[in-house]
Amino acid sequence: MKRLGCILAIALAALADAAEQADAPHAPRFVPVDIVLDSPEPVAAWQFELTDRNGAIKIVGIENGESPAFDRAPYYDRDATQGGAVERVVVADYTLADEAELPQGRTRIATVHVLVADEANFVVTLVAAATADGRPIDASISLVLATDAKRRNRWTEEPAA
Amino acid sequence: MDRRTGRVVAAALAGTALLAMLVAGGACQAMAPVPATSPPPWNPDADERPNPTGAVRSSTPATPAPRQHEVWVIAKPTATTAVDAVEEMVVSSNFNRRALTESAPSPNSLKLRQTAGEARSAAPVAWDDQSIGTGAMLASFPARAHIGARQYVPLPLEHTAVNAAIEGHISTVAVNQRFENPFDTKIEAVYLFPLPEKAAVGEFLMVIGERTIRGIVREKAEAEEIYRQARAQGYRASLLVQQRPNVFEQKVANIEPGKTIEVDITYFHTLAYKDGWYSFVFPTVVGPRFNPPDPTDRLGAVRRGSHRDTTAAVEYLAPSERSGHDISIRVDIDAGVEIEDLKSTHRVAIERPSSTVASIALENEKTLPNRDFVLDFRVAGETVKSTLLTHRDADTGRGFFSLMLIPPRGPSDVARHPLELVFVIDASGSMRGRPLEQAKEAVATALDRLGGDDTFQIIRFSEGASRFGATPVRATPANIARARAYLADLRSGGGTYMVEGVKAALDFPHDPARLRFVSFMTDGYIGNESDILGAIHGRLGASRIFSFGVGTSVNRYLLERMAKTGRGVVAYLGLNDSARVVMGDFLDRISHPVLTEIEFDWGDMRVADAYPHATPDLFVGRPLVVTGTFTGEPGSVTVSARAGGEPLIVAVGSDHADRPSLAKVWARERIAELADRASWAGDPGGELKDTITTTALAHQLMSGYTSFVAVDSRARTAGDHGVTVYQAVPVPNGVRYSTTVD
Repeated sequence: MKRLGCILAIALAALADAAEQADAPHAPRFVPVDIVLDSPEPVAAWQFELTDRNGAIKIVGIENGESPAFDRAPYYDRDATQGGAVERVVVADYTLADEAELPQGRTRIATVHVLVADEANFVVTLVAAATADGRPIDASISLVLATDAKRRNRWTEEPAA
Repeated sequence: MDRRTGRVVAAALAGTALLAMLVAGGACQAMAPVPATSPPPWNPDADERPNPTGAVRSSTPATPAPRQHEVWVIAKPTATTAVDAVEEMVVSSNFNRRALTESAPSPNSLKLRQTAGEARSAAPVAWDDQSIGTGAMLASFPARAHIGARQYVPLPLEHTAVNAAIEGHISTVAVNQRFENPFDTKIEAVYLFPLPEKAAVGEFLMVIGERTIRGIVREKAEAEEIYRQARAQGYRASLLVQQRPNVFEQKVANIEPGKTIEVDITYFHTLAYKDGWYSFVFPTVVGPRFNPPDPTDRLGAVRRGSHRDTTAAVEYLAPSERSGHDISIRVDIDAGVEIEDLKSTHRVAIERPSSTVASIALENEKTLPNRDFVLDFRVAGETVKSTLLTHRDADTGRGFFSLMLIPPRGPSDVARHPLELVFVIDASGSMRGRPLEQAKEAVATALDRLGGDDTFQIIRFSEGASRFGATPVRATPANIARARAYLADLRSGGGTYMVEGVKAALDFPHDPARLRFVSFMTDGYIGNESDILGAIHGRLGASRIFSFGVGTSVNRYLLERMAKTGRGVVAYLGLNDSARVVMGDFLDRISHPVLTEIEFDWGDMRVADAYPHATPDLFVGRPLVVTGTFTGEPGSVTVSARAGGEPLIVAVGSDHADRPSLAKVWARERIAELADRASWAGDPGGELKDTITTTALAHQLMSGYTSFVAVDSRARTAGDHGVTVYQAVPVPNGVRYSTTVD
């Protein structure tokens, strides 16, 4: 009896999960947006802007990247989450770590956690990247979405001006 | 096992026996259900004594003591079920944590929950995301049935670590809270805690292992909705809400069994200063508040596990209980001038790398957080100067400043005016014992210091208010003797209807020949602060209010605001302080002329939005702090005033160092002043609310209308959301549990 109960429970749970996945594609959902910097030189500071052209997102958290040199959550612009038609955030961080510890190449520098109400159209723009001595770096930026979020949203990556 | 699955299993197990085996090698006994409508058979006022059975509470007398390896399961009552409360689970001293998690069959725990429900109701347990306390939990935590003489209660908040850095009169404080789930199902942890009432909370991080997620400040309703959605969908999330200017509610959702989530909060605030001493205060526990009948804005004080609705309330541990929560505090001071002396309410270790630098830390890093931590330090007397601190925003060019004006030390030789001294003594239940005795001694000391031209009145309030005399009486030896007898007969008990005390103190004609000073002696344990401040503002007239905080964890927000509203000052009388010394010093200050007609010449600074709006009188030994914005160049500020009729001029210079925290400090002062105005003038059009919200969002600060939220969207935890567990706390040291907790 107990075994039957467990089998029933598992089956019901599986059905419920499947139903949840098949929810309306534009139901509000939480999505992590990974921001990846590709730098030919060691990076000591960076700044990017993330926005949604559809105005469908709310930013709910900003997470540190994968480099131990940037081990705290980065900072965001205070005007970035003031609402309005389009929500955008400017995120920046710097480190005083030794050059040997600085990230180089393709590195996830931050994750922006968002609540997407509908279909988002993300735009990420690299504002600046610099070396330890303040020299600008000609780097590129991209974003990575989780698999299910890719099905529902669009994005654009733009280089520094 | 998630709740949905549990329902199915429970239905399959219908009709099983009440008792069940939970772990290998032992027997499990279910606590006999305690009727939800009657109080549990527990005497929280009992003296501390070890409970040999390991039980948190006793159930019916027939319940035998648990054997080794026994586990008792809790099924908390809900608002929508008829399941009675059963007792909490305690693992006996020989129980092995791993054995529990590896061998405890979850269906057995559900069987226990379901059979308890069947004993009382045919209705199924209702599972929804709003009912408080739904679910049953097995606690899997390291075996320690006792902490000292008290019974250990599993709760999620493990440790609070406080690290403060003081520079000048501004402190930056980082508070780390570590939540660990000791149960075998997901939980949401809810914790109400205090911060200094002028704390500008500007940073909020959720830490999960090596990952840190910076929270976003949003309008309160929006932040709460985001948190609710994240919680319902199984995401780890944190929410920080201001319940009062000095009370905050932290929620952490979907903490998985055995996992840890940390929350880091950073705030800035200005230190208090008095007679050469700076004071750093970190409050550790919210005192139990009395709430007059008012359904809109309660801050409840309830027994552990008894919180029934969604209004804010603090759960308190019984005197015989202890959770694992402890606190560590470290303060680093860079005074810039020689630090002459240091003292603290707690045992501390002090390091002095140089004469101007000091590092202070609690000796015991597992200190019980049941009384405010106070650190006072005195800098070299002759080097204490009025100071001007500044910061300029690089993006906008807008400047922020904080000017601390310190008047000359020592009372003037000019004779004081006759006084009409009104003492208002809080005689409610929370003042029972040592707090009331301290208040009595302080008043008796004041009576001894009165002169023949002075008059006095004594008012006692709790449920209502009563007076010593029909009107204030002359300070003759006979009247003072009668007053001493009146004080000796004062007893405490009942609620704290402070508005009645305010009315009794201010609603009678003022003697124009005397300065009326109204001195409140109270711990401030009330939930209707705005009513009190509004009553004072509406009745003040020519009186001045002086508030004495009596106790170890007093409501500093209320006391500071009462003094500010009443153009007076605040003093604190701890349970171990000398009432005679504190009151004597206080009277020395207030009995002599103050600095009046204070005016500022700001030089090349063009000042706007300075707070306080109305410059108060300045008592000797107490500083005046003015915070504002400016354009132009900061330089020397000239302050002119009169002291006892004589002119006084002070020049205050800037050290030109940039202090970015001043922007948030200014914003916090602005928010506080606007909130005060709303409390006594009302805010029918919502303009004050809008201005507070705009200011808070612009400076990323907590306020009554803005909150921090952080969501980890990277992974969903299994199930929809967990069981809500309120972090119970000890009552403040010196406060009687039986007279203050519902």
